[in-house]
Amino acid sequence: MAKVLIPTPLRQFAAGNDSVEITGATVGDILDQLTTQHPDLRKNLFNDEGKLRSFVNVYLNDEDIRYLGKGATAAKDSDTISIVPSIAGGVR
Amino acid sequence: MVEHARQAYPRECCGAMLGTEANGERHVKAARPMRNAFEGAQEDTYQLDPAEQIAVEKEARSQGLSVVGIFHSHPDCDAYFSKRDLANSCPWYSFVVLSIKKGEFDHANSFLPNFEQTAAEQETLEYAAQLT
Repeated sequence: MAKVLIPTPLRQFAAGNDSVEITGATVGDILDQLTTQHPDLRKNLFNDEGKLRSFVNVYLNDEDIRYLGKGATAAKDSDTISIVPSIAGGVR
Repeated sequence: MVEHARQAYPRECCGAMLGTEANGERHVKAARPMRNAFEGAQEDTYQLDPAEQIAVEKEARSQGLSVVGIFHSHPDCDAYFSKRDLANSCPWYSFVVLSIKKGEFDHANSFLPNFEQTAAEQETLEYAAQLT
């Protein structure tokens, strides 16, 4: 089963778990199962159209899935999936 | 946080706040300075490094804490939440902005963005100790 690391502020929406282990063929499948198991996570990760929110980036091990196969990226049992928000800004 | 902002001046600094959350309040226990990963002029822009974000999450987990917020500085500007701050924010965190004027701390404000990144509510910011 692949391990999905839950961002610490979202643990409250995942029954307090630091990580959740899920079997799935692709990263998309795994995120679907994750948010089915923990529905309160869905609003944090997906918009009303069911797409990943613009600030949510997903990493398979050390690779951003946007540069792999996005949601269709194949996942193995030994993989770790991290959810990392994209954050920037500045005075102007 | 203030020291990191002073050292980075006149560039923007950034970092994470580790702490706890309960009953609608967030208590910051530790500040973790982070690298400004923006590759252009850092006097008016900051960007977090995803690899460092993953490391900070791991550090928070190991200490039984959460990443409750992100901080950055506004050199020689007030501590408002700019359009770019909002457009590149995340509703999971409190965003503390530090105003650093002429290299010294002036004031700070905290903001909580919405999911759509269209508005940010200003939060109450209380200090456990007097800032110097």
